Amino acid sequence: MSQLYDLKVLIEAKIAAGGLDSAEVRGKIALKAGRLLSFISPNTPDDPAGVAKLKQAIKDVLNINA
Amino acid sequence: MRFKSIQAKVLIALVICLVLGTGCVVELMHYFTAENSRALGTEAATGSQKLFTILEAREISKMTAVSDALIANTGVRDAFAARDRSRLLALTAPLYPQLKSEGITNWMFHTSEPDMSVFLRLHNPAKFGDHLNRFMDKEVVRTHAIVAGNELAKAGFAVRIIRPVYDAKGAVTGYLEFGEELGQFIHALKSQTGNDYGLLLNKKFIDKQFWADSSATLKRRDNWDDNAGFVVADRTTANDNIIRFHGDLATVPQLGTVLEQYRDANSVFVRAIFPIRDAAGNTVGAMFVVRDITAVYAEMRKTQNILLAVTVASLSIGILLMLMLLNRFIFKRLQRILTAATRLVGGDFETEIKTDSDDEVGQLEHLFEQFRNIFVTVMAEISETQVSK
Repeated sequence: MSQLYDLKVLIEAKIAAGGLDSAEVRGKIALKAGRLLSFISPNTPDDPAGVAKLKQAIKDVLNINA
Repeated sequence: MRFKSIQAKVLIALVICLVLGTGCVVELMHYFTAENSRALGTEAATGSQKLFTILEAREISKMTAVSDALIANTGVRDAFAARDRSRLLALTAPLYPQLKSEGITNWMFHTSEPDMSVFLRLHNPAKFGDHLNRFMDKEVVRTHAIVAGNELAKAGFAVRIIRPVYDAKGAVTGYLEFGEELGQFIHALKSQTGNDYGLLLNKKFIDKQFWADSSATLKRRDNWDDNAGFVVADRTTANDNIIRFHGDLATVPQLGTVLEQYRDANSVFVRAIFPIRDAAGNTVGAMFVVRDITAVYAEMRKTQNILLAVTVASLSIGILLMLMLLNRFIFKRLQRILTAATRLVGGDFETEIKTDSDDEVGQLEHLFEQFRNIFVTVMAEISETQVSK
């Protein structure tokens, strides 16, 4: 599994745990990361820039260090 | 509301407009208050000047009438023609207290030209034989007609008339002069207008020693050294604020001018000045006018405060109304588009933007809805493709 997918799983878990509005949180993170979370699958290849951007988006929106 | 948002910028701009608008109104109010004070001062100066002229004319008429009666008296006429000082004094002295009570303070008989000296001073009988050599003396000799006007003598300023006296054959035997000290005019002015006055005389036209002597005679403090260019002949108030003046009396405009508005304790005053000219047309002094404008000023301030409150209130309501309109027609709708776009990217394909508006934001809402439909279609096709693989 890719690191990107792990991050996606982390996001989903946080949304479920916090009872957050899934569409809103996912949308905010996607807009900040420049990537649709729906297109991230276990087979999605990692790219360092994409991972960094997604981590930064998670920090900005969910305030956690992934 | 984020600081960088248009909403915040608009709010800041509107608050700046409120502050500027209020500032402009305050400045405008100050300007109008100053202008009104100036108008009140101008009115006090011109009104007093007119009243002064009327009083002057009235006193000249009075002195002329008295002189008419006096020169018609053959006893007085003959005693003067005979240069019989004792008889003339005996005939006229009983009249002097009565005339003095009417304001006629100076009464003189002058011999005829070329000598033209004082033959008898009813207000100071012991002093005679001096030559006055004033403008009005020269004028009466030149015209042999009544000459009237203000004239500054060594000791003071008076409105005078001087006229020729004829003997039984119609020859000029000398001149008769009446005068009233101008100082008493300012008290008449005060009683009629309620304003305070101060009569200033230019030192250039007065002899210092004579001023000291007359001050002693009138039991008045010798104020020669109080001011640089002028002496205060009389005033209706002991307040020194009335005579603050640092200009040249000769430059005071013909119609007078307003000097300043000032506060003294809880009262507000406006001070003006108008010139006093002598019979020769020289500006020999000036009259200060101080008008108490406390009541009018308080009314002006009250109006000013009401207007200011109304301005601030109406501007605030206007700003609030504008913010509400902007919020309703622009900011809320933009926020709705932002939320829908975010949710769309987050996988919520159902959040539609419904609008029936055709304004600028409405066009954006329509455009967004078209994009949303395309996005949903593309996402569905991608999903189908992935499923079929």
